[in-house]
Amino acid sequence: MIKIIPLYSQLCCKMKYTFFLSLFFRISLSWGQSCEFKLSGKISDDNGQSLTGATVSLAKEKRGVVADENGFFEFNQLCSGKYLIEVRFVGFKTISSTVKLSANKVWNVTLQSDSTALNEVVISEKHIELAATSTYSSLSGKALEETLGKSLGESLREIPGVNTIQTGPAIFKPVIHGVHSQRVLILNNGIRQEGQNWGAEHAPEVDQFIASNIIVIKDAAAIKYGADALGGVVLVNPAKLPTEAGLGGQVHVIGASNNGSGVLSGFLEGGLKKLKGFGWRAQGTIKKAGDSRAANYVLSNTGFEEQNFSIASSYHTEKKGIDVFYSHFNTTIGILRGTAVNTANDLANALEREPPQYTAPFTYEIKQPRQSVQHDLLKVNAHLAEGKNEFRLQYGFQNNRRREFDFRLGAALSDIPALGFQLQTHTLDADWERSHSIRFQSCWGVNILYQNNSKIDGTQTIPFIPNFDHYTAGLFAVEKLMLNNWIVELGLRYDFKKYDVVGFNFQNRLYRSNIDFQNFSGTFSAKRSLGSFASLTTSLSSAWRPPNMAELYSLGTHQSAAAIEYGLLLDEKTSEVKQYATSGAKVEKALKWVVGYKIEKQKFTTELTGYINYIFDFIYLRPRGVTEGLRGIFPYFRYTQTDASFVGIDALSTYQLNRQLVLTGKASLLRATDETAKDYLIFIPSNRADVGLRYESKSLKKFSWNAESKIRWIGIQNRAPQVITPREIIETQKQGIDIIAQRPGNFDFAPAPNSYFLLSMGVGASWKLEKSKWDVRLSADNLTNEAYREYTNRLRYFANDASRNITLGIHFSF
Amino acid sequence: MKTLRLICLMLVSGSLFFLSSCKKDDPKPENIPEAITKVTLTFTPTGGAPVVVTATDPDGDGPKPRTLSGLINLVKNVSYTLTITLINELAKPTDPEYNVTEEVEEEGDEHIFFFAWTNNTFSNPTGNGNVDNRNDPLNYKDTDAKGQPIGLTTDWTTINATSSGTFKVILKHQPDIKSATTTSNDGETDLDVTFDLAVN
Repeated sequence: MIKIIPLYSQLCCKMKYTFFLSLFFRISLSWGQSCEFKLSGKISDDNGQSLTGATVSLAKEKRGVVADENGFFEFNQLCSGKYLIEVRFVGFKTISSTVKLSANKVWNVTLQSDSTALNEVVISEKHIELAATSTYSSLSGKALEETLGKSLGESLREIPGVNTIQTGPAIFKPVIHGVHSQRVLILNNGIRQEGQNWGAEHAPEVDQFIASNIIVIKDAAAIKYGADALGGVVLVNPAKLPTEAGLGGQVHVIGASNNGSGVLSGFLEGGLKKLKGFGWRAQGTIKKAGDSRAANYVLSNTGFEEQNFSIASSYHTEKKGIDVFYSHFNTTIGILRGTAVNTANDLANALEREPPQYTAPFTYEIKQPRQSVQHDLLKVNAHLAEGKNEFRLQYGFQNNRRREFDFRLGAALSDIPALGFQLQTHTLDADWERSHSIRFQSCWGVNILYQNNSKIDGTQTIPFIPNFDHYTAGLFAVEKLMLNNWIVELGLRYDFKKYDVVGFNFQNRLYRSNIDFQNFSGTFSAKRSLGSFASLTTSLSSAWRPPNMAELYSLGTHQSAAAIEYGLLLDEKTSEVKQYATSGAKVEKALKWVVGYKIEKQKFTTELTGYINYIFDFIYLRPRGVTEGLRGIFPYFRYTQTDASFVGIDALSTYQLNRQLVLTGKASLLRATDETAKDYLIFIPSNRADVGLRYESKSLKKFSWNAESKIRWIGIQNRAPQVITPREIIETQKQGIDIIAQRPGNFDFAPAPNSYFLLSMGVGASWKLEKSKWDVRLSADNLTNEAYREYTNRLRYFANDASRNITLGIHFSF
Repeated sequence: MKTLRLICLMLVSGSLFFLSSCKKDDPKPENIPEAITKVTLTFTPTGGAPVVVTATDPDGDGPKPRTLSGLINLVKNVSYTLTITLINELAKPTDPEYNVTEEVEEEGDEHIFFFAWTNNTFSNPTGNGNVDNRNDPLNYKDTDAKGQPIGLTTDWTTINATSSGTFKVILKHQPDIKSATTTSNDGETDLDVTFDLAVN
């Protein structure tokens, strides 16, 4: 698969434009001779990293292709004869070479990094090896830069098929093809991100500024990373470190009008003259934001702040390399004050109110309810290339500390978190990659994880999830074969997992559990080129994951949920914790089939992805009844298992109207069904589409500019479950009727919000000086100040979504 | 190939053994001062034996509903002082968090009780209580630091006739916003219980 989005970045980079010019000429084939030959090969850098996005062109024939995610390129239907080939990539020296063709030929190229070239925004792309046949999309270069200042989850929404579960203006959790949380694996710099990701209001703890590219793998084919990526994998990859002497860096200053936010981020990097191959980088980000504003009122207590830094260094020779990386992430996020509701009665009042209760003038102050999260990551990895073999070893340590502050009874408790956990994770990954030939490669490996979760003592609440030790060991093998127009890949994985649990039940009494899980997962995928411009990919993969701690053991009310949740292992009558083996709970298993079609013509590109994800024993919160405690009336939900299907289509198209104007269209359609109950599931992203028009100025040497306008349409979710309002629950309970038991099936407290349009515009300009580059970008989101609510934003019960936002970003790199 | 598999297995089992060999102590249970498992309403007449009713919910957030000890059985045309106590039976009686009433009292400027009853059962206060309308009459006998009522102690006089109906008590947590105009719909609910009421 070839990336679409980064082409923007290359369009506006300081590189020679031969390739792009070549795109605009018709392909001329000579007649009368054998023209069935193929020229293919791999483009890599001097460290052996494949150079995705490198352009390979046949100068005289005006034909060009872009290297795929493994650096592979291919020309078909070539006639015998001599060809002048040019290979270019930002930051590397261009290679021109003549190749004589009289049969199919494999021609591999190593590009030398060009230390005299300017440090581009896209430094070289460092991709973790991807399955050549997987369906993925990426965000890098200009497209990524234009999302800077937003959180990781929010930026990912630029990718078709990716949405978010949102809790207010600052908490975005990625949703891939309708599923989220522990069904989406995030690899931050190659390490599985491990936080308290069971909560829908727990966003990934990643500084988006670290990334030079973000890749979303939408089929579960990323079998190397784990068995549990039922929805997909998000890879957050930093830029490669320099290997030459010199000093470079970037500074970003971003301000936004809606929440009065300011962001300052930057890095410095360099190498050593005396030690070629050594590089370092120090990076940091500070963010501060006040209350967001909806169209007609302030969203009180939705401010947030973030302070992050990271340091990295690496040493690479031709065959060996070692990397050390450390990052610290620290955030405090306010949650809309009006969402602090306890009972069905409070929720009924909140639903009927607008603006929400406690709406106050704008402030930067963050009170309760709020979250405070710190995440540290230490990573060491080494690789060694030995002939046809490559070995990689990687160790990661993560320390995640989450505290949630609520309004509490008693003055002494007001500054004590109501929820506090510390999660420490060690991961060890080793793999061995062999190129038996250019056409046959295999990769075998092992992943080991040890994790410990402990409550932070002193919260004076019964912990929502127990303390636990979690062990995982996984083995995988992936074999890849290239045959003529086909690339076929086969993967198999075995995992063993063990939970060692000790927690407190509703009576604050200690309980213990030990649970073992083991299972196989597999993947088969194939890609076929269809002529020179198109390709078809299909993959069938299985994945599984055990229930997480919240799904097994939770008991109680959740922040702003106004409902009681019971885990899978709680006895329906006594609420005592049952043993897993006798509880009837099962692991969740998924079978996902993805078909991708891609065509890239001179002016027109289209990427279509269709998928069916059938999840057996899908775990979700099912409404079960109404109970009356001393605090009042509560609906209660039990984690339940059902079979669910997620069927959808993602589409992305670009059309080059002329050399300056590009028209882009994107669409994501999704149907999710509870197959057992023939019911709808809640919080499933509705259908959406957007159309954008982008102008890029002619490539003058020093100054260039662009302008973009985009209209986004988000449809109403017609496949939403029935509505039972909290008012109905209270009124019927007064008459002694349990309405939830009477009207079984999923329900929502409020109907799905209406469809809406959002208009956004942006202008950007770049100045290239001798050794530096300035970028300025002014953009406006929700330009028409639309008052809307988003179905997948949990704040929709309480308030409108954020209104118009004008962002000014200044980026300086040298 | 066999050696590799062996190495892998050794690596996996070795590290699992290493990791599982470190045993930890049990976590310490938390005090849970906010849990209210028992509410007692004591109607003390001027002279005579008090009328006491309780509502209990020992499983807290468990699915079992709360249980009521019985109806509030008052005598007609008698004045009572109602005191409310909130108990957390998950703590020991000697623990400070056993008595939640004190927490409410100390944090009086964030808490307020509202009352509602049916069938005009009281001659003083008259009406149906201040749940539906904050300004409806009620005889609060305690105030917070800012002079606003709390409601742990209230005064009541029954009508001079027999009556039966319900009596509702709501405790609201209104941090930062409690004022002379905040209503039973403001803030978060800490307590919401309804008893049957009879006057004979």
